Amino acid sequence: MIVASGSSLRAAVVAAVLAATTAAAEEPAAAIDFAHEIVPLLEKRCGECHIGDARQGGFSMNTLEATQAGGDSGLAGLVPGKADASEIIRRITSTDPDERMPSDGEPLPAAEIELLAAWVAAGGNWEPGFSFESTLWEPPLALRPVTLPEPINGREHPIDRVIDAVARAQGRELLPAASDRQFIRRVSLDLTGLLPSPEEVEAYAADTSPGKRTALVERLLGDEPRARLRYAEHWLTFWNDLLRNDYTGTGFITGGRKQITSWLHQALVDNTPYDAFVRELIAPSEASRGFIDGIVWRGTVNSSQTVPIQFAQNVGQTFLGINLKCASCHDSFVDRWTLQETYDLAAVMAAEPLELHRCEKPTGVMARPGWMFSDLGQVDPAAPPEERLTQLAALITHRDNGWLSRNLANRIWARLMGRGIVHPVDALRTQPWNEDLLELLAADLVEHEWDIKHLLHTICTSEAYAAVTPAFERSASSSDRFGPLPRRLTAEQFFDCLWQLTGTAPEKPDGEVKRPAAAGDEPAMVRAALVKCTPLMAALGRPNRDQVVTSRPTDLTTLEAIELANEQSLADQLAQGGEKILAEHGPSPEPIAEWLFAAALSRPPTPPELAACLDLLGQQPTTQTVADCLWAVMMLPEFQLIR
Amino acid sequence: MRSRRDLLKSLAAATTATLSLPEPRARASTAGQPIEHPEPKADAIILLWMAGGMAAPDNLDPKRYQPFEKGLAVADVISTFPAIPTAVDGVEICQGLEEIASVLDRGTLLRSHVQPDLGSILHSRHQYHWHTGYVPPQTVACPHIGAWMSRVLGPRNPVMPAFINIGQRLEGIGENEEIKAFTTGGFFGSECGPMNLPYPDQAAAAVRPPKGMQPDRFASRYDRFKQLLKASPHGAYTSDFHQESMLRSLDNAHRLLSAKEREAFDISREPQEVRERYDTGRFGRGCLLARRLVEQGARFVEVTTEYVPFLHWDTHERGHETVARMHAEIDRPIATLIRDLEARGLLDRTLVVIASEFSRDMITEGQPGSTATDQAKSPKDFLQEPSHYGQHRHFTGGSTVALFGGGVKRGFVYGKTADERPCMAIENPVSVSDLHATLFTAMGISPRTVYDIESRPFYATEDGEGRAVEAIFG
Repeated sequence: MIVASGSSLRAAVVAAVLAATTAAAEEPAAAIDFAHEIVPLLEKRCGECHIGDARQGGFSMNTLEATQAGGDSGLAGLVPGKADASEIIRRITSTDPDERMPSDGEPLPAAEIELLAAWVAAGGNWEPGFSFESTLWEPPLALRPVTLPEPINGREHPIDRVIDAVARAQGRELLPAASDRQFIRRVSLDLTGLLPSPEEVEAYAADTSPGKRTALVERLLGDEPRARLRYAEHWLTFWNDLLRNDYTGTGFITGGRKQITSWLHQALVDNTPYDAFVRELIAPSEASRGFIDGIVWRGTVNSSQTVPIQFAQNVGQTFLGINLKCASCHDSFVDRWTLQETYDLAAVMAAEPLELHRCEKPTGVMARPGWMFSDLGQVDPAAPPEERLTQLAALITHRDNGWLSRNLANRIWARLMGRGIVHPVDALRTQPWNEDLLELLAADLVEHEWDIKHLLHTICTSEAYAAVTPAFERSASSSDRFGPLPRRLTAEQFFDCLWQLTGTAPEKPDGEVKRPAAAGDEPAMVRAALVKCTPLMAALGRPNRDQVVTSRPTDLTTLEAIELANEQSLADQLAQGGEKILAEHGPSPEPIAEWLFAAALSRPPTPPELAACLDLLGQQPTTQTVADCLWAVMMLPEFQLIR
Repeated sequence: MRSRRDLLKSLAAATTATLSLPEPRARASTAGQPIEHPEPKADAIILLWMAGGMAAPDNLDPKRYQPFEKGLAVADVISTFPAIPTAVDGVEICQGLEEIASVLDRGTLLRSHVQPDLGSILHSRHQYHWHTGYVPPQTVACPHIGAWMSRVLGPRNPVMPAFINIGQRLEGIGENEEIKAFTTGGFFGSECGPMNLPYPDQAAAAVRPPKGMQPDRFASRYDRFKQLLKASPHGAYTSDFHQESMLRSLDNAHRLLSAKEREAFDISREPQEVRERYDTGRFGRGCLLARRLVEQGARFVEVTTEYVPFLHWDTHERGHETVARMHAEIDRPIATLIRDLEARGLLDRTLVVIASEFSRDMITEGQPGSTATDQAKSPKDFLQEPSHYGQHRHFTGGSTVALFGGGVKRGFVYGKTADERPCMAIENPVSVSDLHATLFTAMGISPRTVYDIESRPFYATEDGEGRAVEAIFG
């Protein structure tokens, strides 16, 4: 009897749930939010006995797998889509006091039962990778040596030895290499931000030497003055974002902000070792002090945005990959950083003693200048600010501060491969996709005198980087994503490529830079990273740099697509390009189409593509038809995505 | 049991584990309470933005009037315009706004809007605060309220951009970088707008082929592009989400550029007689454009009397004379817009809001007791010449917001400012947060709506605490 009434209640709940989920299917806004509805409910009602270290009855709900598996009874805890076959639902709806959960206290309120049952009925959606156990990553401060797995198929590169072993363990095929043409386009855009010329592409494709990939990477990262400049003026964008450097913006109007462009440009041309680079930013010269000086806002500023607090936040985010923004108002809820630690770091640069403010209210507690990883040593709080900064700079760049090297390695990996080993890149204390890989890359940087170009060389010469880019569903999880992801051109890359194709680059840079006069040949093209942001660049995702920016928009939006379709300055440049291309490669249509493909996509057109281009260009191409053909090629995802 | 902090940490982990979804991501509940959106009263908002500080005593909240006299004590002047009657018995506004007075029975005057004194009175900072609900600087790029509407509600018509901003240049004016900082989708990204149309009479060009390209060439260029795409061996990547989203956006763009809704951007298609009724200048033409865009399904349209430091409402001297000119610019088009929307049956579901970053006063900078620097060029004691006559100081203690249609009461006044200086809001003060909560509520958005950004909650109104002024809804 008891069981029967239990099942009828269950049947009623399940019926209600099924009705609710049918409605939910039509009304996506009503979808159940796992993180904010289910997680707290499981915590509150089941946590004491089944979450964390607790596993009463052999049942743990820490992970999806454990919850599905169930406990000692052998009955499945959770069967996605089937509330009435799931033990957790049966037990919370049971009327048998020996069975009903929670075993102590009142039954769950009907609304909560309904929510849980609806969640199970709708598939028991569980955030991929979510676990109730802490997922904060707590590796030792210093880098840990990595034992490399045995190479597979003769792939000796350390990156490949790590990744191939994972792929093999998961029963995956190793990804084949991308074609030569795809590779040279990818690596040129990644290291110099520029398209390879058709001649470079052909020479590379024709080269039969076994070491040609490495030789190409070495040429792009080489010491030849033009190569240094190309590298510097591409990576300037990456660093401008990270160091919040720009040529216009909030603060300049009242002198409350300084550029560091000339310093940064030179440091990139010189390939200044990363430890020295960071030291010069934290304990700056006149030319590099714009970073720590932040933005002096006019008027009252809330206490989480004073210059010293900006310093703490920016040093934390940019160099260490840790988020102190939360901990600028109160102890972080999402990480272990405390308000005290943020203020202590801020106080290193502050001229005056700093009082902690919690959510805008003074606390009476004073900051003690210092940093959070005191195992490596501490700043002398009694020293004057300049000296404290020098001490901090030395501590941060200590070779045993693994966060500095891991952070940069992760950011560069994300830039080249489309996704951080730790994702998102600003939450470096998230469990990495593969710890060994991160340690390996970080060590590569430190052990080669903090040479950033060396790290780039290491990544770009791996088979992992050179692999084909498979197509991905948006929902693919990290562990599905071997090989490089397609990456959208940054606004600056888009313009640099446009200017390469059309010859419409601006004549002068806006940034304060000394560009070496090229000896003998034509002056180097002015790059998009060197000029002020235009409305079209902003539309294509070049950010306002009032804050540190660490990633660019990955998707082209409709408003951006409208700009690409009809923005006047773009149309004018395409028209000028049409004229130039017609003059140089016309008058017959085939060579024009072939050149466009070679220059923009680094490959010849297929016969159907050639036919489509000829159709567009007409028998006698005009400036207009050439401009339209150029536009059509530039709108191809193949052009706008680095593959 | 684990502590709240541990729980939040695991939530943060859950959030970062949501690798596949675009960020930021909406939460369905906050502080244990599900977020329930109210029943919407309006489908669209037209915000008429009086950039530069519209002085309440010379516009919608007249006080004791004192005409100019040489040697007059400044302390004796509160309003520089006399009051006139309106369509609502007992409610007066200032001379020069006769047309608005005649439609006041269609709306509510909220006479107790207050702003914080941000230490240094800066238009762009107060405008940032007003438009985003957050006082700058912030550690993240805050979205404009129009971007919130766009993100939460989406477009009303899939072809039309949800958030359109009319009349404000973002280049070549003072403080343009500061204006840009809030004229943005912020952390919601550019999909949430705005589409910027600084010159209403050139708006048609924003949805037209570029100059020098005939429509048939433009259309065939896109057709040929699609042919080329079909021929591409990279067609194999169609399941790739990067590629898919890129092509979808290009398609959406071309759909708008060839849709009939495109005509909404072209105010020259209005009968001349209608254009003349609106056309008092750029702002008036902007009102006409806003009406056309809302008619075709825009969600949030802002029309601004452009902000340029020391111009228009930003009177640091010659206030009276300048405001008289501003009256002439805004009065007829605003009233025409209200009547037009009403005649077309759109006013019930369109909320029209007139607002400004703060009010002005002849003496008080900020609020009484403020340490803000006085930026006016006129004396505080006695009037010497006509250029001293006007509201030259920034006043944050009480301003008026007018709301028409969209479910608000008709012929209603809410809140009150003091009749004598300082004219502080003395009844029912309404903060920026509460005013935003009111606008969100009218549109069917909970003021507690929250998104996770960089692992922390970010609310539609600060800390989710904005309270709608329910009293103004009919």
